[in-house]
Amino acid sequence: MTELAQALVNGLQMGFLYALVAVGLTIIWGLMEMINFAHGEFLMLGMFGAWWLSASFGLDPLVAIVPIALVMFAFGVLVYRHLMRRVQGGDPFTQIFATIGLLFLLQNAVVAGFTSDYRFVNDTLLQRLGGARLQALGLTFAVPLLVAAGLSLLLFLALYLLIERTEFGLALQATSEDRDAARLVGIRPQRMFAVAWGLGAALVAIAGAILVNFFSVYPQVGLQFTVLAYAIVALGGFGSILGTLLAALLVGVIQSVTVVYLPPAFKDAFVFASYLLIGLLRPQGLFGRF
Amino acid sequence: MARIALIIGALAAILYPIPLQLQGTTYYQTVGFLVLLTAMLGVGWNVIGGWAGQFDFGPQVFFAVGAYTSALLYVKLGVDAWLGLPVAAAVAALICAVLTYPLTRLRGHYFAISTVAIWMIAQPIGATWDYIGAAQGLFIPVKPRGGVVTSALSLQFAGRTKALGYYYAALALFAVTLALMAWVERSKLGFYFRAIRDDQEAAEGIGIDSRLYKVIARSITAAVFGAAGVLYAFWALSVFPEQVLELNWSTLPIMATVVGGIGRLWGPLLGAIILIPISQIMSTTLGTGPLAGRGIDLIVYGLIIVVIAAFRPTGLLSLPWSHWFRRGRAATA
Repeated sequence: MTELAQALVNGLQMGFLYALVAVGLTIIWGLMEMINFAHGEFLMLGMFGAWWLSASFGLDPLVAIVPIALVMFAFGVLVYRHLMRRVQGGDPFTQIFATIGLLFLLQNAVVAGFTSDYRFVNDTLLQRLGGARLQALGLTFAVPLLVAAGLSLLLFLALYLLIERTEFGLALQATSEDRDAARLVGIRPQRMFAVAWGLGAALVAIAGAILVNFFSVYPQVGLQFTVLAYAIVALGGFGSILGTLLAALLVGVIQSVTVVYLPPAFKDAFVFASYLLIGLLRPQGLFGRF
Repeated sequence: MARIALIIGALAAILYPIPLQLQGTTYYQTVGFLVLLTAMLGVGWNVIGGWAGQFDFGPQVFFAVGAYTSALLYVKLGVDAWLGLPVAAAVAALICAVLTYPLTRLRGHYFAISTVAIWMIAQPIGATWDYIGAAQGLFIPVKPRGGVVTSALSLQFAGRTKALGYYYAALALFAVTLALMAWVERSKLGFYFRAIRDDQEAAEGIGIDSRLYKVIARSITAAVFGAAGVLYAFWALSVFPEQVLELNWSTLPIMATVVGGIGRLWGPLLGAIILIPISQIMSTTLGTGPLAGRGIDLIVYGLIIVVIAAFRPTGLLSLPWSHWFRRGRAATA
């Protein structure tokens, strides 16, 4: 019984990290309805950025979040301006191809620059907390994961307020619903899409900077997170920020509970089995509005 | 005109490995084998992706089903590869039909992710199922055979003629696949597929059962992947989950199809001829230098795909070749 409860706790903590990875995709895919298969590569760039800043300047990943987010925002805008804007109007397949090409390009550019070796960021602020454990109700909470979960929650709250409560967020939503009508009321759709790509890239890169505290860094690290992020966004319901958070927690719990009963190889299989089940019974996702 | 081009192309494909065999550079025969294998997979993917317009990210599952089926038949029952091949293709198509029918309730992106989901579920099953050898997989023993005819009949080539034998086997399978798909393209099925792609509601309005025909389209794709899996298994002499369930078995054929021209019968072949040799040439020219093994070939792939997607998403075959060709002739005349 405690084993199951502990699995639940661990799963929820992982879920917060997954939520952070998925939320950038919620904006680009869920809200703006554009496909980005290079999402995991944006994450990988964030992780590599954090590793590089730590290895060459001794910057802690938590501090590195600021420059990484700024650089990746600019990168996201550039990707939209120079590639995605071209393929936006046409067949949706074209967006898939363009971003698969981007995936190969980014991943292997990093392989060319840094090789495929696994790298670790050592002695970070979060890892120094590593020994600390909170004991409550007979369960163990790892402090670094708790701090990361708290950060994730904070970012979610900020994003939720930005999208749902500010004029800018309303403009984003208006653009995603009807581009021509948005233009009529003075919104510039191209700018909105560019900002959405910037935001999406910055958010997932921030997730990367937090993940380096727990995961090793290598050029192919992205794909496993990309597939999970797509399942999470679809599970949570398109464009629903709160839904993404809850779906990510659910995915974390499914993984950790699966591992209690089955070989670890099955942990993603059960996530995707649940995706299929929920997708077939409730195609709009758990918390979708339509 | 087209017929002459076809005859010249077929002759070139048949004669290509012969000087290599005399020279002893069988490496380039293997490159040809990989080009044909990728092209065959691309022609198969075109059915669900190009004609029926459903993005399928998980056909490698049926590549694995084909490879495992034929390997099991051979190892456990002693059934030869050519006999196992139609069985493997049928098993792949059947499993695909059963799995895909519920998925066809989903559309667009959701369908694409559900094909990934099936792949994600297949991986741990392949890695833990003891009957099919779990993570170690199955080894296909080479049985000592007599002359060229018997090894061709059992799809087991070894020694100096190994690369040559598998090249011609791939060429034969590719030709059969292409001929069958050319027939599908012109048949009622082909028109139904494209009607569903262009406007699903309108297609249903004239009485096409879109779910049924999507299942048929994906099962045809699965049969081609299953047959190709048999060829690959006997070439590699082993089948294990990490190898046959690799993502490359869908990304490479899809990229070849897109570069050549999605929805065009000959598109995947053109794409495969352009893409596959790149990585082989890279690995020979970079050798053991500082850039060897640094994914330079995949950077080039990425660039090609990005440029095609941005400037000519319908692929190279969709460029106005006949117009340029005619104008070129008029200018010289």
